[in-house]
Amino acid sequence: MIVRRWLPYLLLVPVLGMALFVGARSSDSAPPTPAQRTSRIAAQVRCPTCEGLSAAESEAPASVAIRREIRRRVDAGQPDQEVRAFLVGRYGRDILLTPEGSGVAGLVWALPVAGLVLAAGGLVVTFRRRNAAPRRTATAEDRRLVEQALGR
Amino acid sequence: MTATPLTTESPMTPAAPAPSERPRHTARWAALAVGAVIALLVGVLATRPPASDVVAPSPILGQPAPEIEGPGLDGTTVRLSDLRGRWVLVNFFATWCIPCVREHPELVRFSERHPAEEAVVLAVVYDDQPSDVAKFFAVRGGSWPVVDDAGAKVDFGVRGVPESFLVGPDGIVRTRLVGGVTAEGLDRLLRKAEGR
Repeated sequence: MIVRRWLPYLLLVPVLGMALFVGARSSDSAPPTPAQRTSRIAAQVRCPTCEGLSAAESEAPASVAIRREIRRRVDAGQPDQEVRAFLVGRYGRDILLTPEGSGVAGLVWALPVAGLVLAAGGLVVTFRRRNAAPRRTATAEDRRLVEQALGR
Repeated sequence: MTATPLTTESPMTPAAPAPSERPRHTARWAALAVGAVIALLVGVLATRPPASDVVAPSPILGQPAPEIEGPGLDGTTVRLSDLRGRWVLVNFFATWCIPCVREHPELVRFSERHPAEEAVVLAVVYDDQPSDVAKFFAVRGGSWPVVDDAGAKVDFGVRGVPESFLVGPDGIVRTRLVGGVTAEGLDRLLRKAEGR
């Protein structure tokens, strides 16, 4: 009975493992080209002069200049993190579209995860309590009342 | 069989509402309130200082100014570092930018008030054609150096034009100004920076 209940979840484990394996292999197989890296970094940077666009999407002069600077640094061999840090050092933290993982900005990432964990915990506790509650069965008094109501 | 006489007035017709004894002035009061809010807004907008000489934060304040280097209007190379030892107002501008056109006479006045050994304007072209820039200066005046360095706008973290940075004689960026500037505002900044 227990095996049947958990069987779908057990089957999911190898499927997820295989998906992760294939995903990791495909991303490792070809290192990104400088153009791809430039696009990837630019997509994480806000266009300084327009609303709601990344530097990768915008054709504003400021975005074009940012893309050119990213490409120059990528070609010079700087890692993504350093390129982003340079832009933050010039424009401020708000130039990044994705908040950083540390400091107060890190709460943006941590709070949803904490909320998810709390919600999952709450569900587990609720279901356990429901299952642990004693099942109600008809007492002799209940049966007598039913018999009486049916006129037997 | 008698016919029922037709009546012009149905018994179900509701009676006309009696006119209110106390007249309501809701509409009048609402109009007065809206009028008062508009008057207040006009008053605030009319009395507040114009949006010029707006000082803004920047991560490069207190840092050595990034180098600016590129061709000038006459084709010779212009460098920010060559101006070391005097106050430099690095002014990012474009000929198509209306606030830049508006602030230009103020920059002319500022440059006329200060000898070149004390303070100088360095104009950095922002996405513009050299011929348009040359015509702009020929028509509107201004004899300060102009440089075309496409990378400078990123090095200084420029978000739009006009935008200016006051660089000290030691090469340190002291102030960032977003939007137009005035000669008086720049003089005040200079006096404050010099501790006068």
